[in-house]
Amino acid sequence: MKKLLALVMALCLVFSAVSFANAAELTNLNTYETTARELETWNIHYSQAAADLNVLTNCFDGLLTNDNHGNLKPNAAASYSSEDGGKTWTFVLNDGMTWFTNDGTVQADVVAQDWATGLEWVLNYAKNDSYNASMPMEMIEGAEAYYNYTKELTETEGAEAAYALTAEEGSKFDELVGIDIPDDKTIVYTCVDALPYFPSVATYNCLYPLSAQLIEEVGVQGYRDITWEDMWYNGAYTVTYFENQNQKVLTASPNYWNAANVKRFDTVTIKMVESVAVAYQLFLGGELDHVSLEQATLQEIYNDKANANNDNLVQARPTKYSYQMHLVYSKNLEDGTPDTNWNTAVANENFRKSLYYGLDLTNYLARTNAINPQSCQNYVYTGNGVAFTSDGTDYTALVRAELGLDYNSETYNRYDPEKAAQYKAAAMEELAAKGVTFPVEIDYYISGSSTVAAETAKVLENIFSSCLGDDYVKLVTKTYISSLANEVRKPRLASFFINGWGADFADPINFLGQETYNDTAAYYSNNYSNINDATDEDLIKAYQEFTDLTVAAKAITDNMDARYAAFAKAEACFLNHALTIPCSYEVAWELTKINNYSKVYSAYGMQAYRYVDWETSDVPYTTEQMEAFAAAYAGE
Amino acid sequence: MVKYILKRLVQSVITVLLVVCIVFVLLRMMPSDYFFTEDELMKFTEEQKYAKLQRLGIMDLCAQCAGKGDIEGSPCTHCEGTGYVNRNVFAQMGDFYYQMLEMRVFNAKGKEVKTITPMPVWTYLQEKYATGEDPFAGSLKEGYSLRMVFNLGKSIRLEKNQYVTDVIATKMSVSLELGLIALAISLLLGVVMGVFQALYKNGIFDHIGTGYTVIVNAVPHLVIYTVIMIAGNSLFGLPMRYDATAANTGLTKVLPIVCLSIGSTAGYMLWTRRYMVDELNKDYIRLAKLKGLSTRKVMFRHVLKNAFVPLAQYLPYSVLLTVGGSLLVETFFSVPGMGPELTKAISRYDLNLVQGIVLLYASLGILGVFLGDLLMTMIDPRIKLTGKGDVR
Repeated sequence: MKKLLALVMALCLVFSAVSFANAAELTNLNTYETTARELETWNIHYSQAAADLNVLTNCFDGLLTNDNHGNLKPNAAASYSSEDGGKTWTFVLNDGMTWFTNDGTVQADVVAQDWATGLEWVLNYAKNDSYNASMPMEMIEGAEAYYNYTKELTETEGAEAAYALTAEEGSKFDELVGIDIPDDKTIVYTCVDALPYFPSVATYNCLYPLSAQLIEEVGVQGYRDITWEDMWYNGAYTVTYFENQNQKVLTASPNYWNAANVKRFDTVTIKMVESVAVAYQLFLGGELDHVSLEQATLQEIYNDKANANNDNLVQARPTKYSYQMHLVYSKNLEDGTPDTNWNTAVANENFRKSLYYGLDLTNYLARTNAINPQSCQNYVYTGNGVAFTSDGTDYTALVRAELGLDYNSETYNRYDPEKAAQYKAAAMEELAAKGVTFPVEIDYYISGSSTVAAETAKVLENIFSSCLGDDYVKLVTKTYISSLANEVRKPRLASFFINGWGADFADPINFLGQETYNDTAAYYSNNYSNINDATDEDLIKAYQEFTDLTVAAKAITDNMDARYAAFAKAEACFLNHALTIPCSYEVAWELTKINNYSKVYSAYGMQAYRYVDWETSDVPYTTEQMEAFAAAYAGE
Repeated sequence: MVKYILKRLVQSVITVLLVVCIVFVLLRMMPSDYFFTEDELMKFTEEQKYAKLQRLGIMDLCAQCAGKGDIEGSPCTHCEGTGYVNRNVFAQMGDFYYQMLEMRVFNAKGKEVKTITPMPVWTYLQEKYATGEDPFAGSLKEGYSLRMVFNLGKSIRLEKNQYVTDVIATKMSVSLELGLIALAISLLLGVVMGVFQALYKNGIFDHIGTGYTVIVNAVPHLVIYTVIMIAGNSLFGLPMRYDATAANTGLTKVLPIVCLSIGSTAGYMLWTRRYMVDELNKDYIRLAKLKGLSTRKVMFRHVLKNAFVPLAQYLPYSVLLTVGGSLLVETFFSVPGMGPELTKAISRYDLNLVQGIVLLYASLGILGVFLGDLLMTMIDPRIKLTGKGDVR
């Protein structure tokens, strides 16, 4: 059957290739960003913003990168290995890598010591203001001690004393931090524990190289404030033009060490546009090579068979974010007193399960993807493509299997009105006995200035009303002015938040670790659900069960399949207790001359925007062609 | 007159300083969470947040526990165990004005190499003069030049760590170029069309002009810009966005300039017509006509000259205002000018940039009104700015 499927896919590709025989590949790519997403700094170590890293990932090569399936792939490092189950990791660099300026003038060789210099910069409190320091501090031996040392030094002797620190042999950094440079080609990291997922961190900018010679040339302050004209590059592209809020031009680096092995564009022009609507006009005028479509434009093209782009509508690949309805277990009223009615209701498992099974989110999903809302359905907590078992199975498939879902994105819907009705009846009986009054008011907050959010909230109100009944719950939409965190999250005013999480490294702990009970490092537990302040014993018991399973899974480091299976059990436990409600993925529609399935795919880190090895065409791909690419990709 | 000018200048400086002080204090009254993006709030540790706020000068290490958060094992009551306390807003303001006096040192190629704070500069100058040396000789020999600049700090978000003065200077030049061209076009078209409207009142020119003014003011500007963008591109092949790297950069500026000028053209047209119709009904014009002066002479020598006086008052203001660019047009056509800068700086809580731009706009606004008054007195000598009677 598999062979037959592969044959069909191959034929599809052949036919699409024949029909596309006259199309040429793009040599100069014209892409865009909206003006709200302008780059803010050129210092790759100093940034944690996607808007910066999407550009800078093209200017620097880190140790590893990802392929188009999301698998780790050597980049600056030719190989990597661990001999002790993940406690120490050895990376061996490629030959012939150099640092060069934006006009291609070679400045120095890229050597292993550059990774030590880069890590010293990141961990130095005075130099990098703690940007990107948290992951190395959590994972690399001695990193936290060095960070604390530089912080104390800054406070006692001033920033200049900390500026003078280096990563040279015999330095305080060398003494404390678990990074060894035995020769110019080898880097050995020592982790705080056996961390099997540590190589995925090597794709992230916290472990990117930095030349000590550049620091010497421009000074510490100079590197903090570095611009595209002054920085040294070692990546596939250099920046040859930048005008803030207008455009950036990346040009293929003439001295790129890997030029012979990767396909690059001659230039990539990133144009800043006021909105996606303007981008669409630019695409029609031939000034852009792809454009995401707003729902109104999408429906206009989709419904008009005579529209020139009707055959060119393609569905984009999901972004890395997994959206959840994060329930709040310790909520306050606006006067600051606890919202006992909601807190009692949400602590009841039957109540949570009535929401879990009772909400038909199709109309909500249609706000993101009006043509194919089901493709945005999310049934699990962890994002897709974060981790794979040894046979290539996505970790989320293990979770679905644990949940007993007969999963098919085209047909499956978690919505089960019969189950929901049973849970509702049980919840109403139990909660009435506890003094809960119905309908239970559910406070949902949106930005007061967003008409899109207001329209979406109206859809949600209708879903709650029609699916669960006005006698049971009432969704009340409220607004905040500027900051959700400050105006809503801190005073604990919302009953739930819809929020997306994208991974930082390739392990389910990056998702599940945010929800564990009584854990100060668990982001969602401390900042969203407020579970640590909940008092209901059954609720705490459910959270404790999930936490114990997660901790046990985290401890498995010698067998990745067993680790992922254990995490899947923990996640299934979390979902079976309906402690969160999986909500959606972002799956947009677009017009494009780029084969989405040829691009680097990364469910974590910053590699997804590398403009290397992209397949393109000088005319937009048709729906059929993209579907053929998708089918071939799935069969690879 | 000199006394009046000096008085106005002093008043202007005080007003500008007051405006900046108010903005300064208001910005620092905001809760500190506003200094972070939602993403940063999500991913930053508390340590990172405090480090950033300390670097921005908004928080200080707690003096009680020396930033440790605890005293002999017990949480510090002064900072509630955080190790940081809010910094006095007046101390922050003092730093802001102090840094405005900083000197930046540039090398022979014009590249900045360091910044010197006022006190070392003062000490340096004192030392050199005490020994009878030329204080600048050493610097010049080394190929350096000292340049006194207003240091308004560095941008903390929009163009992280770049000097606010540099950011403003770069963007200002783009806005100024487009704005001045658009102003010249709208002045020319608006005044000429206004004259013809007045001359042929209720005639075809008047109807066309009135129709144009109504449409420009009634239809939302973004709709007009979209129509101009699509029509300009499809009919004339004009580029749809500003592009300084294009082979013919001038062409990419056409559509933004057209959009910039349509609104002000309607304004000049409307007011020229209105003031000219007013003047045409006055006795001295009737007398001039009776004396046999040609219509052309009456219109341009007398009517237009007098009708232009109220328009002239706003001319310097309009010229200076071009520095500020246009929020809508520049955002729509991706023009890297000043237009969207203030709103973006506010929405991202880029304190230094907001202060810098407010300082600039306040100065330009006050200067514009002042120059307008002077220009009016030059065009119409009957207007007196001083004196106890009909002073302005």
